[in-house]
Amino acid sequence: MASAPRPERAPRLPALCLTRYPPLPLPTTVGFLSMEEEETYLELYLNQCAAQDGLAPLRSPLFSPVVPYDMYMLNASNPETAFNSNPEVKETPGGFSSVDLSFLPDELTQEDKEQPVIGSKHETEENSESQSQQSRLPSPSKHDIGLGLNSPSLSNPHSQQHPTDSVQASPEKPESNSLPLASITPMTPVTSVSECCGIVPQLQNIVSTVNLACKLDLKKIALHAKNAEYNPKRFAAVIMRIREPRTTALIFSSGKMVCTGARSEEQSRLAARKYARVVQKLGFPARFLDFKIQNMVGSCDVKFPIRLEGLVLTHQQFSSYEPELFPGLIYRMVKPRIVLLIFVSGKVVLTGAKERSEICEAFENIYPILKGLKKA
Amino acid sequence: MAYQLYRNTALGNSLQVILLQFDKAMNSALAQTVRNRVNFRSFLNTYRSCDYLWSFVLNGVEFREVTELNKADEAKIVACDDKNIGSNTTE
Repeated sequence: MASAPRPERAPRLPALCLTRYPPLPLPTTVGFLSMEEEETYLELYLNQCAAQDGLAPLRSPLFSPVVPYDMYMLNASNPETAFNSNPEVKETPGGFSSVDLSFLPDELTQEDKEQPVIGSKHETEENSESQSQQSRLPSPSKHDIGLGLNSPSLSNPHSQQHPTDSVQASPEKPESNSLPLASITPMTPVTSVSECCGIVPQLQNIVSTVNLACKLDLKKIALHAKNAEYNPKRFAAVIMRIREPRTTALIFSSGKMVCTGARSEEQSRLAARKYARVVQKLGFPARFLDFKIQNMVGSCDVKFPIRLEGLVLTHQQFSSYEPELFPGLIYRMVKPRIVLLIFVSGKVVLTGAKERSEICEAFENIYPILKGLKKA
Repeated sequence: MAYQLYRNTALGNSLQVILLQFDKAMNSALAQTVRNRVNFRSFLNTYRSCDYLWSFVLNGVEFREVTELNKADEAKIVACDDKNIGSNTTE
């Protein structure tokens, strides 16, 4: 559908190219640009930003090179991305100084989404070459994209860009200023940081609950099922274990069950189903209602020692550190609502999540802070 | 097949009393007199605990005593959890 306006745009490209960019080979095919061509445009845009470094305030360099670049990208981008400002962009080449370009950060980041991997690799190359101070604004949204790649829906991070932009822009700015690698392009100081670490927290434990929806005779279950313990005076539930997936279940007489010890969401669900089948085979009309993951625990290693005292000084409203009580710092992150145990060795434990994405997001948030508090 | 009909006779009653005495004697002997120690190691097939009674089914078990070694493909251990601890094994 973009092929119709394409020939119209094509003649304009060289004119704008001469004013702004180094000569650019025109795309020969009508239709969407290939990935390589998009990369070239990205490279040119980045060079342009580098050239304008220090000459303009934060926002303006963002606008001028972006506009024609934007036009190229609009043709190449997927129809699914919300390029609702298409008509606006068509008007811009005439006189973009007078046009309201506040929508641009959104579109930039949408373009980033099209080429998440390739674009970011280019950016890191460009980062090392140029020193632009501009546009931290899209960078947090690229950070969101990093998260969006993890989560199933791309639209969510995109929709959350603006609210989170302001939140994440400020913490990200000081960190990225200190890192030569991160300080450059409008695209992704933040992604380069998170890409640098490349660490993904590993899930260690998942606690889930399910309702079997029938009253159970715990004594009968304990007598007939294998690998079961029942001590009513100590605890009013049957403790049953299975080997694959290696989990433990607490089965109550009301029919409710808690399943712990699985290492992934699928394993937890599978294990809960196995326990339900054991109960069913004993003659109870067991069902499988309201399976819900209640807690997920993950852990990872940042691979450098951390100054916990520094962290408790800078983030005192979130941190609680009593080395005489417990050697780890307890960091209660507000968004997402996750509790992190941070140790001097660099090991981090994250807990309190209901979704895997919360754990990843919490670690992405804490990693730049920890990086700034590296010991020695 | 055989009727337990004649237990409530003089002879039967006195024999039952002796059975009770036998129970007590066995428990005290195992608790006080027997000092042997046996170690065993195996793969645990199943376990169960109900009413303070533990039962285990072991596979490929080695009972190791100072003097000798006994192996079994399968062993069931029934253990009572009480002041007087007792266990029986069957191969």
